[in-house]
Amino acid sequence: MTDIIKRDGSCQSFDIHRIIKAVTCAMNDAGLRDDDFVGTLAEVVRHTFAGKATVDIYDLQAKVENLLMRSRYKNAARCYIEFRRTRDIERDSRNSLNREILGIINQDNEQILNENANKDSKIIPTQRDLLAGVVARHYARQHILPSHVREAHDRGDIHYHDLDYAPFFPMFNCMLIDVEGMLLNGFKMGNAEIETPKSILTATAITAQIIAQVSSHIYGGTSINEIDRIHGPYVGKTFDKHLAEGLRWIGDEEKAKAYAMERTEKDCFDAYQALEYEINTLHTANGQTPFVTFGFGLGTSWEERLVQTSILKNRIRGLGKNRKTPVFPKLVFAIRKGVNFSKDDPNYDVKQLALECASKRMYPDILNYDKLVEVTGSFKTPMGCRSFLGPYEENGKLIHDGRNNLGVISLNLPRIALESNGDEQYFYKLLEQRLSVAKDALMSRIHRLDNVRASVAPILYTEGACGVRLKPNDKVSEIFKNGRASISLGYIGIHETINALYGCDYSSDTEGQHIYDSEKLRQKGIALVERLRDAVEQWKRETGYGFSLYSTPSESLCDRFCRLDEKEFGIVPGVTDKGYYTNSFHLDVEKKVTPYDKVDFEMDYPPRATGGFICYGEFPNMQHNLKALENVWDYTYDKVPYYGTNTPIDSCYKCGYEGEFAATARGFECPSCQNRDSTKMSVTRRVCGYLGQPNSRPFIKGKQEEVTRRVKHL
Amino acid sequence: MNYHQYYPVDVVNGEGTRCVLFVSGCEHKCVGCHNASTIKPDSGHPYTEELEQQILRDLGDTRIYRDGLSLSGGDPLYPGNLNDIGRLVRRVKECYPDKNIWMWTGYTLENLTDAQRDVVRYVDVLVDGPYIQAERDMTQPWMGSRNQRILRRSSGDLFE
Repeated sequence: MTDIIKRDGSCQSFDIHRIIKAVTCAMNDAGLRDDDFVGTLAEVVRHTFAGKATVDIYDLQAKVENLLMRSRYKNAARCYIEFRRTRDIERDSRNSLNREILGIINQDNEQILNENANKDSKIIPTQRDLLAGVVARHYARQHILPSHVREAHDRGDIHYHDLDYAPFFPMFNCMLIDVEGMLLNGFKMGNAEIETPKSILTATAITAQIIAQVSSHIYGGTSINEIDRIHGPYVGKTFDKHLAEGLRWIGDEEKAKAYAMERTEKDCFDAYQALEYEINTLHTANGQTPFVTFGFGLGTSWEERLVQTSILKNRIRGLGKNRKTPVFPKLVFAIRKGVNFSKDDPNYDVKQLALECASKRMYPDILNYDKLVEVTGSFKTPMGCRSFLGPYEENGKLIHDGRNNLGVISLNLPRIALESNGDEQYFYKLLEQRLSVAKDALMSRIHRLDNVRASVAPILYTEGACGVRLKPNDKVSEIFKNGRASISLGYIGIHETINALYGCDYSSDTEGQHIYDSEKLRQKGIALVERLRDAVEQWKRETGYGFSLYSTPSESLCDRFCRLDEKEFGIVPGVTDKGYYTNSFHLDVEKKVTPYDKVDFEMDYPPRATGGFICYGEFPNMQHNLKALENVWDYTYDKVPYYGTNTPIDSCYKCGYEGEFAATARGFECPSCQNRDSTKMSVTRRVCGYLGQPNSRPFIKGKQEEVTRRVKHL
Repeated sequence: MNYHQYYPVDVVNGEGTRCVLFVSGCEHKCVGCHNASTIKPDSGHPYTEELEQQILRDLGDTRIYRDGLSLSGGDPLYPGNLNDIGRLVRRVKECYPDKNIWMWTGYTLENLTDAQRDVVRYVDVLVDGPYIQAERDMTQPWMGSRNQRILRRSSGDLFE
């Protein structure tokens, strides 16, 4: 009796009927029927293996295939092979799903566990979220993505971001919440009807609730655009309340006013302290602290200034008894000539406070008003860490709040360069093909939302977060059209792409191999991004959707693309040899230049990639030299729209050292007392547009490598 | 005079964005010196008119604003350095009366020679005193030990 060894290693005795059944099915699929032929074929197979004790299932199938191919029923052969292949793929993917789930249970799949530095994968709710993510990704790949898009994603030609959420769930990426409209008009949340708040303390408490709800319904960042303008009126209400009380008890108007101001200042400080704690203790349905950004800085009224200083003073103070640096909310401070830029401006003192805050807590990053308007057409806070909306008008009025981004697909540019072997023409030809796949992928995001009803996310669509009050049964897709929402093509690794295309022998004396040192290569980088910009502009014209070009931060993507390319192309110097790809258009993190020179190098890109960008400089400790930091900020004013200051702000709870911890193989280490206990330190690094604390939640490997290689620019 | 390093853009040696020159030569020989390699007067590279021209050009740079010049070392007031440093600070003040000069010295203000005083006249902020290992203090900006002082010029004189 012959035993068949199956794929899982188990044995089953040979059964001629199974062969008859499989071949009959294949004949059926080909529209054929010939029982005699099938019977004979099965007999031949049996005879072939009759003398053997065991036969591998693959050998058995190969025999069937060969016999079919040699017969007159070539189409049956085709159907048989096709059927086997489909079954193989299904089986493989079932196995990979099982492996990924096991990886979460056993806590040993680094790719999944460390993909997002903001997720603590050790705790149950996050594991539930990761599990949902694994299944959603699996299902979307199998059944929702067009097959060429899925293949391009799996190969690493493109990256379909956030597959763990969308398109399985009809979710979008990031947004500017219309907090103003929600507070003014009231809304329903859970079982409660919320009315317009009557004080700043209530306004911030409700804002925290809105953020928690919204963050559970979208997968990207939530931003509040100009929170000083939005919350200012509630500071006013608080003042009025205290003034009335003062007049009642003190009588004297001057004294009552002074009393009301002091009380309001205290209330406002407390309100933002509570809001900051609230956000840092929230845990959304997405298994993480919400990615929240507060934009502020332009308001000049007493109330708005009080909001600005309260936010900054709270941030400077830090969280908890160790005065730890919070990583959320991200703070983005707007600088504008005539408001806070120079000594004679009314809010110059707030700019000084922002400088102090940045030197101690890294945030705020700054938005340069005039440059941002020039580059993107209007002023607004980035959605999440760096996504920017274009201008959009309703009834002749520019609208920003309530708008959103539908998601990102990123191109692996270094891969195209590697495939082109230095042939620029071929590179651009391949790029066209990849762009077309990326467009299909982006359209699949849009179409996933086509028939979705507002009831799927009441907070967004019926209660006002998206700036509209749809009825539960209304389709949501209307509010994404005509550029109201953006949808973004992303790109990564300009630095590696240039190296792969034009060589990178930095050791040669003739300057001009590093993109920074060669005007010609700089122009090549810009021309490439221009080509991408032209593509999204064309898609916008064709479809009416707000396609935009986004400079991908690549928290985990920097690692994934590079890993896949190393597998395919080996270790290519200057391209795959570092374990990560460089963030979008950014200067190579190992290139030692001044922050001024870095700004000059990068300033040509935001005007071309208007859908998303940020520039950084790496600074030493600047706490005692705010003037020098201000010099750099001022320098950026008419050059880049959005700038972040990276500066060492680590602190040791054991010896009190403040400065920069060393990244060692055994974790972060205090340079003063060699403390390596991750619970007795605060280590903060820029992950992407956001900060992260790698001592408590490790970065993915490639990102850690990139962070370690960053050189100071001063 | 010899010098060790010249940094055209610097933010960690004095307030603001600065040009910084580390000169050679120092007679204090403090234990635990931060820049021990600069003690010998003949270490480093010869200070040239070319370098002086570059420093003056950098201070006037219209692209990257400089608040002033910082002189450290070594000791800028080391007797062998007084001629060159004296000429440099005079020229800086002639060209850029609004830019400030910071200087680090191991001498104390009260014990300066007349020749040293002639140079210090042009200095806006003087960090003075030797480095004393036992009084090491890394928490104070711009100095290494607690005995050192940051003296700022105010209505003509230097005050702590």
